Amino acid sequence: MITETIARKASLAIDRRLRAAKFVRSALNHVFPDHWSFMLGEIALYSFMVLVVTGTYLALFFHASSEKVIYHGMYAPLDGQKVSVAYRSVLNICFNVPAGLLVRQMHHWAALIFLWAILAHMARIFLTAAYRKPRELNWLIGLTLLVLALVNGFFGYSMLDDLLSGTGLRIGYAILLSIPIAGPWLTFLFMGGTIPNPATLPRMFALHIFLVPALIAGLLGLHLFMIWRQLHTNYPGPKRTNTTIVGSRLWPSYTAKSLGLLLLVFGVIAALGGLFQIDPVWTYGPYDPASIMAGAQPDWYLGWVEGAIRLFPGINLRLGHWLVPELFFPAVLMPSLLFLALYSWPFVEKLFSLDKGDQNVLRMPYDQPVLTAGGVGLFTFLLVLLAAGGDDFLALAVDGSVIRIRTILRILVLVGPPCTAALAYVTCKGLKRRHAARARLRDDSSLSSEASPNVTTEPAVTDNMGQPLVLPLTEPSGLPGGD
Amino acid sequence: MNEEEDQESRPKSGIGEALQLGRSFLDLGWSVVELLSKAAARLLPQKHELLHHPKSGRDEDREMEGAAQMSRRERIGTLLVFGFFSIAMLGGVGFLFAYWSGTSNTQWLGGSLALFLCGTGITLVLWAHWLMTHKQAVEARHTVASTQLAEKAAAKAFCDGVHDVRRRRLLAWMGVSGAGLFGMMVLSLLRGLGISPDKTLYSRIWKSGQRLVTLDGKPLSLESLVPGSMATVFPEDQIGDERAQTVLIRVKENLLQLPAERATWAPSGYVAYSRVCTHAGCPVGEYEAEQSVLLCPCHQSTFDVLRAAAPTGGPAARPLPQLPLYAAADGTLRAGGGFTAPPGPGFWGIS
Amino acid sequence: MAERESRVRPRVNPGFLQVCVAMLLTCAPAAGQGASSVPASDGAAIFAERCSRCHGDNGQGLAAAVTIAGPSLQAEHDLGYVMTAVESGPSHMPAFSRILTADQIRDVSRYVTSDLAVIPLVHGNIGDGGKLFRTYCATCHRTAVRGGVLAFAGRNAPALTDKSAALIAGAIRWGPGTMPKFPASVLSDEQLASTVDYVRFVQHPPNPGGDPLKQVGPVAEGGLAALAMLLVIAITGWIERGGKG
Repeated sequence: MITETIARKASLAIDRRLRAAKFVRSALNHVFPDHWSFMLGEIALYSFMVLVVTGTYLALFFHASSEKVIYHGMYAPLDGQKVSVAYRSVLNICFNVPAGLLVRQMHHWAALIFLWAILAHMARIFLTAAYRKPRELNWLIGLTLLVLALVNGFFGYSMLDDLLSGTGLRIGYAILLSIPIAGPWLTFLFMGGTIPNPATLPRMFALHIFLVPALIAGLLGLHLFMIWRQLHTNYPGPKRTNTTIVGSRLWPSYTAKSLGLLLLVFGVIAALGGLFQIDPVWTYGPYDPASIMAGAQPDWYLGWVEGAIRLFPGINLRLGHWLVPELFFPAVLMPSLLFLALYSWPFVEKLFSLDKGDQNVLRMPYDQPVLTAGGVGLFTFLLVLLAAGGDDFLALAVDGSVIRIRTILRILVLVGPPCTAALAYVTCKGLKRRHAARARLRDDSSLSSEASPNVTTEPAVTDNMGQPLVLPLTEPSGLPGGD
Repeated sequence: MNEEEDQESRPKSGIGEALQLGRSFLDLGWSVVELLSKAAARLLPQKHELLHHPKSGRDEDREMEGAAQMSRRERIGTLLVFGFFSIAMLGGVGFLFAYWSGTSNTQWLGGSLALFLCGTGITLVLWAHWLMTHKQAVEARHTVASTQLAEKAAAKAFCDGVHDVRRRRLLAWMGVSGAGLFGMMVLSLLRGLGISPDKTLYSRIWKSGQRLVTLDGKPLSLESLVPGSMATVFPEDQIGDERAQTVLIRVKENLLQLPAERATWAPSGYVAYSRVCTHAGCPVGEYEAEQSVLLCPCHQSTFDVLRAAAPTGGPAARPLPQLPLYAAADGTLRAGGGFTAPPGPGFWGIS
Repeated sequence: MAERESRVRPRVNPGFLQVCVAMLLTCAPAAGQGASSVPASDGAAIFAERCSRCHGDNGQGLAAAVTIAGPSLQAEHDLGYVMTAVESGPSHMPAFSRILTADQIRDVSRYVTSDLAVIPLVHGNIGDGGKLFRTYCATCHRTAVRGGVLAFAGRNAPALTDKSAALIAGAIRWGPGTMPKFPASVLSDEQLASTVDYVRFVQHPPNPGGDPLKQVGPVAEGGLAALAMLLVIAITGWIERGGKG
């Protein structure tokens, strides 16, 4: 009773100041289609929230300076050694701050999950052609979010100034340097000079905790606003047309399910952070110019670039007395082309597509066999590159020669994608045939049982306030209906 | 926690197996939960006051669907949410206890936190499944594009405003030039971020006559190494410098196959190369003495020590820059000049 | 007591059997000759006849392509350990308990620890050792000495998780197989001791964060994150069970 009174008074107070009633009503009635594959983006969103929360705590203890000090702290094997202030603050978080190691590990695991979720979400969008009109802009924003996430992840673990990430930073420096004409300028701009440079670390810190998260948050807001405004797409099914949306209302069930997912994602990350060690910077040791370790990789989401770097043969381009180094092709050109293709995809697809007007009903993956095959092929390509990024561990696992593994992967990266694409194509065609046959069967039976008692009474079509409408429901004609 | 021996490493099961495992785990868990809740429900009396809330429209819906059926569902649901919420509370209390008792045991802290979060999450989801009605809604989509009338009205509002502005072309030109100038001013600030690439990028590091010293400053002589051994050396004035690091190797003199102009660069079989890989800049630390090959651990580029560090495999394309050596009168090993090329990864203007 | 070198069963290597046979053929005749021509208490002579075949004339180790040939003994100062080793034959070494008398075993062990063990094993500074380790050793053996890849010799840099201090010290000076040698001008005796201290420490590094995923690093972390992602997807399947989209 008391909670109801408080709730009522609070909502009245807000409404009297903001005229929120109408919006609140339409918001609470907002329809969200029910399918687990529509929650993948939410997983990314919630892991981002975990990142912000844990990251804020860490930022209060991290000291972003590469000035060298003598370490005297809890980790005995480094006592008396010269380490950077940043590295010392990380060891402080790990060994002195209460629950510091837990929060740090949760932050890093959340980053890994964040990127897997973005990848899964992006794959779903691609395979169901959800990037079509009017959602092209959302695809572009989503891709930009991916790029920002990749960049922020790289900065995040490189700020710690340990040997593993310091190795990665060397490689990053070399990659920037390899860009023709502008390479040295860009390198000196971003890193402040040749590495190691005292300007690099504070710069990464400012970008990592402020600029990039702000961009991500802003773009995320836009991303979510557009989904809200355009209404989510539906899988094909009964009553699901270009002019109607079927799902459950935001209040109360969808809210509960979403909050539940948030807590569960948070919980899985907490379990990972507590039970599985990640990035033990004390074992790696501090970055030092003369130090180097074997078995160094970036985090998994950059493993495809690392793999491309390992597989690409030593071919550089001499143009007179200018040089395009061998690192440029796998590390700059290939990713740029890939992202260029991804960014332009909705518009390229439109050239070949017969769809007209707004597309609010998704395509099943098997209904677009060529595209699905292409997507599967691309995914295989990236997966082989990812495996190549860890080819030294593959060699260790089989106690074999890394040179041989590299040769095998070089062949696989060229041969694998066409094979899996062909396989996917054939599978799609098969599934399509099967579904078509089943649909024909269902249509035949439904025609003869219009008044069947087994057909459940379907809910009435409503407007966005939940009021029933009288509308002739047409098949998707592709033409925008009048308002 | 103890690490396992290498021999104990199990190959990772395929994705299919992992999925199956996960699915069967979930199935098992769910059937256990169902069993427990069914058993518990039977123990409860028919009427109970665990669930109490004021009537709303939805309640009437529910009553219409069969009162006895739904209340059983309510009972099971209530039991489930109560059970999982208790687990969550246990986790939360556990976390507080662990934290305030001063433990640094990350496993306890993380485990209890996970228990709390997963417990409350499951509670909410179970609430949605068991204690909320599932009503599907069908709603009309308003077209995203505005009506033609609205579009025209917006365009008119804009155009009317534009027409109110006099000397539009002048304004446009002023706007463009002002914005351009402002852009240039802002971009100028970038200059503070980095010095333009200067000659440090092209430096060959060593000066003729400089002694080769180890990390602790010890100079090296012709007796320092035996064939098959190596050392990391620096010029005296740049000990510990990233780009100055040099690898000094002693090989059997008769095995060396340096180009003719470098024949005098290797006294008694000592050769020195830049330690910074020409591929991506990692220190080339791995020396395989039997094959006289330097291997870079980052991307497994190999360099033939006997042939002026020519790249023999892997992604590197340029050889490691070589340092000419000579033995001075006092026996110390010294540089006979700078590296043959600027050390490190290649770039546009490298010679 | 003999916890310095645990008896780990090696992975069966294709060339392993061949090497075993080769070693048995070379060592068996030496072992079979019994107490023929050697005076009972001449440790040096026993060593020259029985041990130098595998361990080198000065116990400096055999620079064979196969790294399991006799390791360097030049850091073995523990008499008891050496006697046990000679008697029971750890790892690939044959046992000499049936071939040599107890006196002979004691004499040859004494010869090893007093005459051949020239590498002093003092305690160094673990911090300095770590820095040297990261300069010279981590590049092949990895930061937690779990072994790393090499390009040739068909054999990767071994894991050092079960190696004794004496073995490690000997190997650093000797350079088994394709490993380079590190003479005193590169690593002084004190620096060597520091490095050995650090290696022994990092055989069991502290893992306060939980399961170390075999000290593999980002590769294993990405894999586990993928599994966690699958778990979370399964959770969404449960949350939206029955949802038809």
